Amino acid sequence: MNFLFAVFSQAGRNLLQTWRTQILSLMTITLSVLIFSFFYLVYTNALQAGEQLGDDLRLIVYLDEEAVPALQEQYREKILKFDRVERIEFISSLQAFNRFKDQLDEDQDILADIPQDFLPPSIEVYPVRSLDALSRIKRFSDYLQTLPGVIKVQYGREWVERFYTFIELLRIVVILSGSLLVLTTTFMMAHSIRLTLFTRQKELELLHLVGASNSYIRMPFFLEGGLLGLFGSLAGIAALYLLFNWTQLRFAGSALLGMFSFNFFPLPVIAMIIAMAIILCACGSFSSTRKILSR
Amino acid sequence: MDTTGNNNQVMVDLTRVTRTFPPDVQALVDVSLQVNRGELLFLTGMSGAGKTTLLRLISGIEKPTKGYVEVSGMDLSKISRARLQKLRRLIGVAYQDFKLLPERTVAQNIAVSMEVAYRSRLFIRKQTRDLLAQLHIVDKHNTRADKLSRGEQQRVALARAVANKPDLILADEPTGNLDAESTELVMDLFHRCNESGTTILIATHDSSIYNRPDSRIVTLDCGRIVATKQDADKDTSEPVQYGPETLFTDCLKLLDKDTSEPVQYEPDGEES
Ligand SMILES: Nc1ncnc2c1ncn2[C@@H]1O[C@H](COP(=O)(O)OP(=O)(O)O)[C@@H](O)[C@H]1O
Ligand SMILES: [Mg+2]
Repeated sequence: MNFLFAVFSQAGRNLLQTWRTQILSLMTITLSVLIFSFFYLVYTNALQAGEQLGDDLRLIVYLDEEAVPALQEQYREKILKFDRVERIEFISSLQAFNRFKDQLDEDQDILADIPQDFLPPSIEVYPVRSLDALSRIKRFSDYLQTLPGVIKVQYGREWVERFYTFIELLRIVVILSGSLLVLTTTFMMAHSIRLTLFTRQKELELLHLVGASNSYIRMPFFLEGGLLGLFGSLAGIAALYLLFNWTQLRFAGSALLGMFSFNFFPLPVIAMIIAMAIILCACGSFSSTRKILSR
Repeated sequence: MDTTGNNNQVMVDLTRVTRTFPPDVQALVDVSLQVNRGELLFLTGMSGAGKTTLLRLISGIEKPTKGYVEVSGMDLSKISRARLQKLRRLIGVAYQDFKLLPERTVAQNIAVSMEVAYRSRLFIRKQTRDLLAQLHIVDKHNTRADKLSRGEQQRVALARAVANKPDLILADEPTGNLDAESTELVMDLFHRCNESGTTILIATHDSSIYNRPDSRIVTLDCGRIVATKQDADKDTSEPVQYGPETLFTDCLKLLDKDTSEPVQYEPDGEES
């Protein structure tokens, strides 16, 4: 009880003494959390969008002749040897013709004179809907091309590749902004501790003289760092939430938003980001105070 | 005097302690001193004799170049940081330069020594009020330390040293800035603490406070113990002579002499 009181009153006193730097630290942490969580939000939403679009993602492998059931089994085996897939469908010439006919709808009569096997038979491969699968799709296509009896492999190449580079880029940006968050928080903490050491030099010296324990001296800094992390990240997340809602309202009804559903972080992710900021700041501030003990 | 090193009885035990400062200042030379629990001891000697250095060695701020310093049975060179911190919480030190925090109030300054020992709010408030009353500075409770006179600052420093009810009090020139009346208050406080069992070491050159017959007086000169005046009914460890011709001891002359030779006792009033 007395210990807690001592820690809190020390921390409070220090916050009062150095509030200017503390506000600066708080703003830096808020900004870093905002930047990081912004990119992270875009990233998670892009992943979700990728999975929604994955429905249209398939490789069409055109064959030079109809595959009999025994051959179908061979193809299936060879495809599965490369990667897990969600579904493999064999389309005969006739099925392809019928599909085409259905698509033509009212103009079906133009097909009247055309033989029913004018379209080649094919295999439709639906890869597992994941980013990993996306990243391998080109290699998958190259592999399928080497199978016997394959004339051509088709897939939404351009779209997939663009989307994939976009996701990759986002991933890098998320990692970079995450490192920025780590760097700025630890730097700000080290900076504010240095300032505190400067303004409280006499007091810390006296504390050593009257026999203050290490925890008496360091716990307030730990608490202070934790509080900065808490409020900084709360403010950052709140700012992002406002920004998110604003964009939702601003672009409501636009085509892009109509296609995908954008979601804010679920609570556990918010809790994780806040916890991360608290731990980072508390530990940053705690470890910067090692200096004052080794005097 | 107890020379068997019985640690239960001995609060402070210095064994052949030498402290030199670069380049070649000999602040203390081969000093051996035992202070029993419950003792009130005066440390005298002119400015630069090594009184402050001796007190700093006892509180562990300074380390001896040679020799051993034991406090409460613990060798200061061997104990862990945590033990030293704990020990310091049991030692109240009133520094010669006060070491008050200028922008804190008197009450906050006094509270520091009790806060680091995790004393309760109630205890801290009560002790602060009591001590301020005893030292006649109750009205300064909420005054910033840098707005006080030297004499008031000195009393606040003293109150802080005494506040946590330490086992050992080290006071460095505690009456240096005080008038006769305040000196009397301060000495009364020391005697009350001493009566309740606290060991007290007072470094001073104020002859008016140690011209009492009931305490041991150890005199330092140029870092050496040159004289010890003991309580009348106990043995004196070294013969003490009073002579008018040694009003001011010449350091150089002393160093030339054989130091085992008893040196005449004369309190100096050099320091201002
Ligand atoms: N940190 C130090 N560095 C160098 N010399 C010092 C230091 N502390 C004390 N001294 C020297 O040691 C001697 C004893 O000083 P001190 O213990 O302060 O004497 P006193 O308190 O009796 O006046 C003096 O000559 C002083 O100059
Ligand atoms: Mg001195």
